[in-house]
Amino acid sequence: MKNTALAFIFVYIALVSTLSNAHHVLGRPSYSLNEDSNTPPSMAIETQIGEYFITYMVFPAFPKPNEPGRVNLYATRIDNGEVLAQPITFSVRDDSFFTETLGFGQAESSEQIGVQTIDDGVYRQGFLFRKKGNYIVRAYFEDGGEPYEIDFPLQVGESSPIGPIGATIGFIFFLLLSINIAQRKRIARSKVQQGQSVR
Amino acid sequence: MIMTHSGLPLGWAIVIGISMLLLSVWAIAAQSPNAGINSKKISLTSTPLVGGIFRYLSGTTWLLLLLKIVFASIFILIITAGLWGTAIVERNLATTLTWNLWWTGLIIAVLFSGSAWCAVCPWDNIATWLVNHKLWQRSNSNSRLQLKVPHSLRNVWPASLLFIGFTWLELGIGIVSSPYATALLALVMVILATTALALFEGKAFCRYMCPVGRTVGAYSQLSPIALRPIDNDICKNCKTLECFHGSEKIAPCPTKLIMGRLQENTYCTSCGNCTLSCPSKNISWQLRSPSSEAIKDARPHLDEAFFMLILLALTMFHGLTMLDGWQSYMTLMAQLVNDNSQLIISFSVGLVASLLIPSLFYLLSIGMTLKLCVNKKGISRDKVDFNKLFSGFAFTALPLAFAYHIAHNLTHFVRESSDWLALLSNPLGKGTEPLSMMEKHMRHMDIMISENVLFTLQGLIMLAGFAISVLVIRHRGYRLFAAKGIQLLPILIFAMIITSFNLFMLVQPMTMRM
Repeated sequence: MKNTALAFIFVYIALVSTLSNAHHVLGRPSYSLNEDSNTPPSMAIETQIGEYFITYMVFPAFPKPNEPGRVNLYATRIDNGEVLAQPITFSVRDDSFFTETLGFGQAESSEQIGVQTIDDGVYRQGFLFRKKGNYIVRAYFEDGGEPYEIDFPLQVGESSPIGPIGATIGFIFFLLLSINIAQRKRIARSKVQQGQSVR
Repeated sequence: MIMTHSGLPLGWAIVIGISMLLLSVWAIAAQSPNAGINSKKISLTSTPLVGGIFRYLSGTTWLLLLLKIVFASIFILIITAGLWGTAIVERNLATTLTWNLWWTGLIIAVLFSGSAWCAVCPWDNIATWLVNHKLWQRSNSNSRLQLKVPHSLRNVWPASLLFIGFTWLELGIGIVSSPYATALLALVMVILATTALALFEGKAFCRYMCPVGRTVGAYSQLSPIALRPIDNDICKNCKTLECFHGSEKIAPCPTKLIMGRLQENTYCTSCGNCTLSCPSKNISWQLRSPSSEAIKDARPHLDEAFFMLILLALTMFHGLTMLDGWQSYMTLMAQLVNDNSQLIISFSVGLVASLLIPSLFYLLSIGMTLKLCVNKKGISRDKVDFNKLFSGFAFTALPLAFAYHIAHNLTHFVRESSDWLALLSNPLGKGTEPLSMMEKHMRHMDIMISENVLFTLQGLIMLAGFAISVLVIRHRGYRLFAAKGIQLLPILIFAMIITSFNLFMLVQPMTMRM
């Protein structure tokens, strides 16, 4: 009986310790996670521009409105792998069709969010968005007399639950349904009229 | 890094230039044309080797239905890849298949198959299946209101405006370089086709609104292949007009054509309803003299004339935006109008100018032709039908546009072939990387046919385009105003300048599409 109780306690402790581990990411409790924590990025992009390889990451995995987040940017020269040591200016603007693509209202929505110098080989720029939506983060620096502008997309909050397929199917469904109803009414009306004219 | 294709050698341009001059001199000096354009037609059902196959296919529906299903499936795959696939343009099937293969191959296909694309057009077929609830048979679905198309919309102006709008989206907004936007455009086409089919009688979208269909329709007037009656006398004596009204099982002509009176291919969607419904089996694919429609048969209408001019202008505009000089223009214009966003204002100004310049130039040519005709013949200006002259001579623009369109797209087609096996095995492009510089160079060097063959084809196509336009000018000029000799000079100059400018663009290095 005593052995059974000990075994039960052992299993209980093992289970509890497993559950408590689930609240930790890399040894830190979940309540202490923030934008500086080593969480998986929502997006990691590698690209090259001019003389540089650029790697861009957004933390946390799902940036939300009113919650701080961070952009990490690494820039190394293509030819010799040397790390960029110029300050980088980060700005953000709205990425909706009318502001970004058509350019309407862009002056108001474009906003500088900070100028960062290199820290341990990384440029870190924090952000906090009040509204959900799609944004473009621009990193700007100059090197060798050449301006470099790198635009990256950033989605804050969840995207619209109705995508283009949903909208298309919904539109066609309601169109055909309403036409079907209207057509049935027309047919019924014409039958009634025919019946009246026969009488 | 922007990759460019080398242009047509200058030697070819000089040869074509000299040929243009000689042809123009001939057009002025030669005797007035008689009505003897070769109108002979050969029915493909009566050709020795393939006749049997065509006879069998004309009476069956399964092959066309199969093709419709295949194209609709590919279309759905494109939408899927565009919405959920990679954003890397060259790794996503949506962008590569749509802009590299379809948009380029479509124009070249018109040359060999007329308006056959419209028969398998996926957005129209999906709309038809959704609305009619039938795969191919005649339907009495309640999902159609069968309203008459408003009189103001019974022309190709809606298609012209949509064509301009789509060009703006394609080149200005850059949907060519966005799989997502490409998929959205595909969905928009489905919505437009479905809405028009549900509201109006016939296929109003195909006839009046579809920019692709109208482009294919206009160009198919120059195609050597078309659906036509085998024996015109049978059609003349036909009282039942099944091609127009349909039969018990087969739907009527979606664009309301009567085969016995059909003189132009513009609105034929090659759906095959007439071949199936004709009780005399009198309709079949026919080989005919290419361009006989543009030269003689097609009846001019003002809205179609404007469409042909817009087609010419937009075709040239496509080429213009792929030249090095376009970037310089955009930079200059952006500085002038302080356009610091996506350069949409600068682009739009360029688009409008590209539409206006050829059209105004054409108007000037017509005005001068009119003046020469009136002065020479002593006809009162009040009696001259300017609209008839304008729309009649607009067929001149058609071979010029078609020739440049094919010559330009031929470069894209043979030089920008993608790795189709890799794309088909991973249509969404999941886990792929952008093309490396070396891959881009490899693709650039891996040309489908030899460069000399390409240049020869381009040169011959441009020359054929100009030659056909000269024939159009001579025949239509004579029929409209008995115009001949020097009276044709203004419109000949129009054709020469347009061809010269197109040659100039072909000689320049051209930017790769993606």
